[in-house]
Amino acid sequence: MSITDLIYLSQKSLRSNILRSILTSLGIIIGVSSVITMISIGSGARIEVEQQIERFGSNNLIVRSQSSSNRGVSMGANSVNTLTLKDMEALKEELPAIKAIAPRVSLSTQIVANGNNWLATVTGTTNDYFDLGNWKFENGRSFEEEELDSGSRVAIIGKTVQKNLFDTDSPIDEVIRINKVPFTVIGLLDAKGGTAWADLDDTIIVPLKTAKQRLVAKKFPGDQIRSMTINVRSSDLLFKTEKDVDTVMRKLHKISANGNPDFVIRNYAQFLNARQESSRVMSILLATVAGISLIVGGIGIMNIMLVTVTERTKEIGVCMSVGAKKRDILLQFLIESLMISLIGGLIGIALGLGVIFGVSEYFKWKMSLDYMSIVLSFIFSSSIGIIFGFYPARKAANLNPIDALRYE
Amino acid sequence: MGDNKLLALDKIDLSINEGDFVSIMGSSGSGKSTLMNIIGCLDVPSSGEYHFRNNNVSTLNSNKLAELRNKDIGFVFQNFNLLPRLNATENVVLPLLYSGKNLKERNKLAIEALESVGLKDRVHHRPNQLSGGQQQRVSIARAIAGSPKLILADEPTGALDSKTGLEIMKILNDLNAKGITIVLVTHEDDIANYGSRIIKMKDGRILEDRKNVNN
Repeated sequence: MSITDLIYLSQKSLRSNILRSILTSLGIIIGVSSVITMISIGSGARIEVEQQIERFGSNNLIVRSQSSSNRGVSMGANSVNTLTLKDMEALKEELPAIKAIAPRVSLSTQIVANGNNWLATVTGTTNDYFDLGNWKFENGRSFEEEELDSGSRVAIIGKTVQKNLFDTDSPIDEVIRINKVPFTVIGLLDAKGGTAWADLDDTIIVPLKTAKQRLVAKKFPGDQIRSMTINVRSSDLLFKTEKDVDTVMRKLHKISANGNPDFVIRNYAQFLNARQESSRVMSILLATVAGISLIVGGIGIMNIMLVTVTERTKEIGVCMSVGAKKRDILLQFLIESLMISLIGGLIGIALGLGVIFGVSEYFKWKMSLDYMSIVLSFIFSSSIGIIFGFYPARKAANLNPIDALRYE
Repeated sequence: MGDNKLLALDKIDLSINEGDFVSIMGSSGSGKSTLMNIIGCLDVPSSGEYHFRNNNVSTLNSNKLAELRNKDIGFVFQNFNLLPRLNATENVVLPLLYSGKNLKERNKLAIEALESVGLKDRVHHRPNQLSGGQQQRVSIARAIAGSPKLILADEPTGALDSKTGLEIMKILNDLNAKGITIVLVTHEDDIANYGSRIIKMKDGRILEDRKNVNN
């Protein structure tokens, strides 16, 4: 008896009991959809973390100026710049775990070029900024020592700025006016895309000295800076360095250990860890649901197959009398339970995909569809069908033809 | 399960020739069903031997028995025993499925068998759409589709009215005329009378074995 004949006979009997077949596969449906959702959540979180590292660079701490709050009343983030280049030099000297520090001053201002207007954030910094922030160049180059030291009017622009100011793909050597000051474009950065809160490509970068002299002289007098990005030598040292930076900064700014600091240290790793942890908890929860429902589903299949075998005892006798061998009967019932579990698997996959798209649309939660998870669910559900269908099928195959024929 | 063995059949010495039409009669408990099961290769005797066309059936395993039933024996039951989910053709195809015939061949054989029992226009009907007589004809078609040497009919008219019963007996008679051996189990004298040989059983033994001159 060929497999296609077996499948034909099996679908006949499953269709004669369609509601029962679907109810039986419910456990598998829930199990498989949980497996798929679980894997997508897990790999989605992993990919998101990788992307964040890709965007912001790994092992970075960011120290920002912050007006020390007076009795709980914040004076507003922009009101004062408490960080200086001296702080930066001191940190570099005191903490050998620091590999590099990129200082930053910034302003939002009008840019004019090529007859177009655009409002962008201008950052004044050093070449370290590109390495630490994982910026890559689509075109052109970074600053030269001489340009940094002399305060040359050169600028490197992000993709969004280029799109809004220039018609051509290559804005190199074009002149843009930042706050009416002409700058020559020497580089174009690769696109990073947006985050939920900002377009990272809407940026213009100029040498720190140039910015301080020509753009933000009033806003950042002397050696004041807005923030600094600290790159730590290895991820193991990240949390210890965060503490050390706090200690050193307090000493420099003469703030006691329990006083309100006039700076704030941000650690992306913290955010990423929290994100990973919450998706891990979610995955464990779903894995438990998946495991339990697959086992319950398997038992459900076994139960219904035992009922089916009893119901069809006489039929089995008839099949044996016209020449069905034990193997034929065994295979027929195995294929039936396999089909129930595969149908459950298919519905489960569809449901899982629905959940994945629903969740990622509604919660804007990153989910990644892993094709391996679909293959895995198929293998899972079919093995459950075979494992739990075997006992009833063997029971059917071992029936004595005479007893089976006589069964009423 | 006690120590006393109940012998369903005792001291049976019987040979049936190819082309015979044998009626087996007897009350319930006479052993006629057990004899039928052994003749039909559904069961093997606990002692003694049964030979079927050069096979010593007593020594065969369940797979070999299934093969014999599939190729050489057709069963016709009192309650038709058709599969309710399958239509007439699919029911007739069933034994051909197990013999591994290909789709084209088995459909051709099934349609031919249904035509030969006069059900040409009922091939796609399900058992519950057919009358008792029609259902019994489907089961005869199923029995003959694989061109068996022997047909075992267990009370084939038992669930039918007498007019329909006679039609069924006529079909069996025609099959016998074509050379198929028929073993019929019945308790009705006029049905048994179709046989060319009548065997009466009681308490597991053969009481009477005679040629039927009326036929």
